[in-house]
Amino acid sequence: MTSTIVVLVLLAALVLFVVNIYNRIITLENRYQNAWSQIDVQLKRRNDLVPNLIETVKGYAAHEKEVFDNVGRARAAMAGAKNVDQSAEAANMMTAALGRLFAISEAYPELKANENFKLLQEELSSVENKIAYARQFYNDAVLQYNTVIETVPGVFLANPMGKSRHVYLEVPEEDKAVPQVSFGATA
Amino acid sequence: MTTSTRSAPSRLPDAITDPATGQRISLLDWQAGNMRASWLLGAGVVLMLVAIAYLVALALEPGAALFFVVIAVVVATGMTFAAYWFSDKMALAASGARAATREEHRYLVNVTEAVSLGAGVPVPRIFVIDSPAPNAFATGRDPKHGVVAVTTGLLDLLDRQELEGVVAHELAHIRNYDIRFASLLAATVGAVVLMRDVILRAMRFGGARGRGRSSGGGKGQALAMVALVVLLIVAPILATLLRMAVSRRREYLADATGAYITRNPEGLASALEKLRDFSGERLQVSEGVQHMFFVNPLAKRNAHGLFSTHPPIQERIDRLRRV
Repeated sequence: MTSTIVVLVLLAALVLFVVNIYNRIITLENRYQNAWSQIDVQLKRRNDLVPNLIETVKGYAAHEKEVFDNVGRARAAMAGAKNVDQSAEAANMMTAALGRLFAISEAYPELKANENFKLLQEELSSVENKIAYARQFYNDAVLQYNTVIETVPGVFLANPMGKSRHVYLEVPEEDKAVPQVSFGATA
Repeated sequence: MTTSTRSAPSRLPDAITDPATGQRISLLDWQAGNMRASWLLGAGVVLMLVAIAYLVALALEPGAALFFVVIAVVVATGMTFAAYWFSDKMALAASGARAATREEHRYLVNVTEAVSLGAGVPVPRIFVIDSPAPNAFATGRDPKHGVVAVTTGLLDLLDRQELEGVVAHELAHIRNYDIRFASLLAATVGAVVLMRDVILRAMRFGGARGRGRSSGGGKGQALAMVALVVLLIVAPILATLLRMAVSRRREYLADATGAYITRNPEGLASALEKLRDFSGERLQVSEGVQHMFFVNPLAKRNAHGLFSTHPPIQERIDRLRRV
């Protein structure tokens, strides 16, 4: 009788323990997926600001065709992205293309004095900053998720649940080399 | 600003130095430990309150002991709950803050939205206080009701990275549930002090009455009286000391968390430096809300002491630079 109770209690404890780990894994998975959608919101917002920016810049520097083409290509890639990897790639393209565009705009004093341009520049560098922060939180969330499914006890449940290590969002090397234009100096 | 480094998880400063022991511990562990210690502390203060009420009852009216204890619990709970529920409204009203709009304070709104994304909390309601004294505070009972308020002086004084650091510090208070705990603790300490005043008053009446009967009074009653007097003197001091100790510890934690959120301890350190060197008008606030601010608006520069709500600014800067 007593031994039956002991076994039942142990069993119940085990079940609770497993449920707890299961919920932890699902919670962390939801967290990084939600973190991705936060990045996506900012990427879309940036894409929406771009046509306006191009129009404004064209009024002063119409012959910088290559720069406009790059931004246009990045925008099309962004709109056509089917998954996280493609979005991330297109986003990096866009960051580089906009970096070039703002670098070139340094040579046009009238453009830089344009109110609309100044506003767009503040908005775009803010969006850029938000993307950076959102990526950082995404990577934090992925790190937490990976840690839980790769350490005891989560590792015992990860396989049966079909969960595996998720990849971080990496910033490409050439992107780091792009001169960072006026972000942070707009105060 | 090089935003690109922000995404590299290998750079996470996931461990910080515990100011109490000097050991390197994980940020998350510290957060959890702090939470536990704080709740224990709160529970201790409430227990002390109940003990006082019980001793009062024993000393004055042994028959009504239970009644006194019930009253004490109800008053303490009511006060703490009110403080918890209305913390944001009280703080905003006390500081004369007004809501920031995207049109007028685009820069502040953008910075706050960005840092919120990094901290993984909902964007708080943003307020501005018209004052040249650079300062900021956070309030709200949980992250969903978060409020961040900054003075116009702060906006004028700091650059973007420094402002990000200050906002991250405030968001850290929100994320760590510091505001919830601070207002609970403040109310509990307030209740202890209130209780003392009520009892002292009651003793003047009850004491006179008690002396009339004291020829028949038991030994236990006299002992309870002595214990009561000691507790009445010690409890408010002890409660205040504990509260300030918790407050200081939480400032360090918010600094460390803020540095972690921005991945940039230097921004926050440099903001603190500017605030340290600021010599102008002070923010006019009441003593009851001083603990909420980014730097203590009332304390003398670098005030060091058991009764201050904030650690000395220089010490905070030094710790950030050691991260």
